[in-house]
Amino acid sequence: MAVSASRVHETRVVARIEATAGVVVLRMQAPELAAIARPGQFVMAIPPGEASAAVALGLYDADAESVSLLFFVAGKRTKVLAALRPGEPLVLLGPLGNGFDLRDAPKDVAIVAGGVGIASVLLAALELLRAGARVRLFYGARTARLLVERERFASAGCEIVLATDDGTAGLRGFVTDALASAHMPALILACGPTPMLRATATIAASANVPAQLALEETFACGVGGCWGCVVPLVQESAQAPHFPKTRDGIVRARICAEGPVFSASELRW
Amino acid sequence: MVRPPVDLSVNVGGLALRYPTLMGSGCYGTGAEFAPFADLSRIGAIVLKSATLAPRLGNAMPRLVHTPAGLLNAIGLQNPGIDWLVEHEIAALGGMPCPIVGSAAGFSVDEYAQVCGRLDASPEISAIELNISCPNVASEGETFACDANLTASVVRAARAATRKPLIVKLSPNVTDIAAIAREAERAGADALAVVNTVRGMAIDVERWEPRLGNVAGGLSGPAIRPIAVLAVYEVARAVRIPIVGQGGIANASDALEFILAGASAVGIGTANFLDPRVPERIAVELAEYLASRNLRAISEIVGRANAGFATPEQREGDAG
Repeated sequence: MAVSASRVHETRVVARIEATAGVVVLRMQAPELAAIARPGQFVMAIPPGEASAAVALGLYDADAESVSLLFFVAGKRTKVLAALRPGEPLVLLGPLGNGFDLRDAPKDVAIVAGGVGIASVLLAALELLRAGARVRLFYGARTARLLVERERFASAGCEIVLATDDGTAGLRGFVTDALASAHMPALILACGPTPMLRATATIAASANVPAQLALEETFACGVGGCWGCVVPLVQESAQAPHFPKTRDGIVRARICAEGPVFSASELRW
Repeated sequence: MVRPPVDLSVNVGGLALRYPTLMGSGCYGTGAEFAPFADLSRIGAIVLKSATLAPRLGNAMPRLVHTPAGLLNAIGLQNPGIDWLVEHEIAALGGMPCPIVGSAAGFSVDEYAQVCGRLDASPEISAIELNISCPNVASEGETFACDANLTASVVRAARAATRKPLIVKLSPNVTDIAAIAREAERAGADALAVVNTVRGMAIDVERWEPRLGNVAGGLSGPAIRPIAVLAVYEVARAVRIPIVGQGGIANASDALEFILAGASAVGIGTANFLDPRVPERIAVELAEYLASRNLRAISEIVGRANAGFATPEQREGDAG
């Protein structure tokens, strides 16, 4: 049994960019974390001060020395994180969760991201592009202003299809409508709000394309200790917790521990 | 002058702990989940998530709501059942660097007794917490801790099923917690955990519906600390057995409130969700607090803010 706190990273903020009002990208000096982080994993960030819980944030970007987190300021805890300035310390726990499975990934991949879901898909796009894949990003938000970091994906080599609720950029409507009318890829990765993920799963199933969905949920511990973030899975899933069979063949897996990425065909939500 | 080391060890009804901190049931998995983030050799004990006789899928989502000063939860005792737990999870905990406390839940006196029996037979389990106060199960989960007679009968049955230290976890959602505590003590409890979560709910004002799948949940965290401190204070005046004080403890000062009210040890739950290093930090700060006052042991200050408090340990301390 390991007794050392080996996945606690005492990092320092090296850059803070406001992608748009209310959306912050924090870059932290964290070489050990950067070395082991995989696409689709997340960290628990401990807000300095009087917060009552850590904040789960997707690992947005990484290089040899640093990791970046992208988040929307949505409450007290993210407000505290958004107030951090270069030079200030920030403790991160992680990397956490399974991440996307990109082993033997095909050469034509669609990534579907909605809202803050964009925070969890860049590393996957970069890895796929490095492997020579065509990567199309289907990216939706309420309005054009919130379609942040488009240039980062474009300059890396992604083709980008946009959708907004109000029509201020790309298709007016859901990003999954854009996906449905596009040439089908050989693999779909997705992260975003649950209705978007459900629609993505439906499209993937009807086109018989495998899809990996990174689920968003409220966490308490983020490390598998509290069972507050479960999702129903088929009993046969390799990600099912090793529980006794239930009558209906459904198990409830922890999004933070068995996920956050699940195979769309194994979810029973 | 070199000060002698401060003694943080405590004895909770026969459960000997090197540190006066117990990781709250349902907040810490089996402990293995937290091993990469905390030094488990510097905490008192891990209380496992409550187990029932049969597997339970738990409540519908959402199960968690973050509130301004705490956390609402309604997990609903999701667990694989005691047999699975004993064979597959508890059996793997032999190498843990701190004692493991099992936690028994149930829906009948007989079920509690059976779960206790299974935990009693597990060598990896050092003590048993009797969770008679879960607010998040549909029918009678919390009824036991809300009725003195039911408390007495379930504790008697559990007592008959185990010789291991038996810690009975009480509910704050009662009119007179001292009366319940007395019944638990009389029925054979070795210690009391005071308190479980406070019932509460939150409503989504956009969708006009409760935010928790279970509607009602249990509130933990700093919001409930004054409620829990008073409960410990009142229970400490009513019983002689040791108390594990819990409810919103996030630092040494919080822990000291409970200890001065009459708790021999403290439970730490929600604070682990902020930072898994909180329990280690509390131990360090408690030692500093004692050393700065030339006190040698944490046991010396148990109940010192509670004039009506008198456990055997306390009277012994006074005499010495």
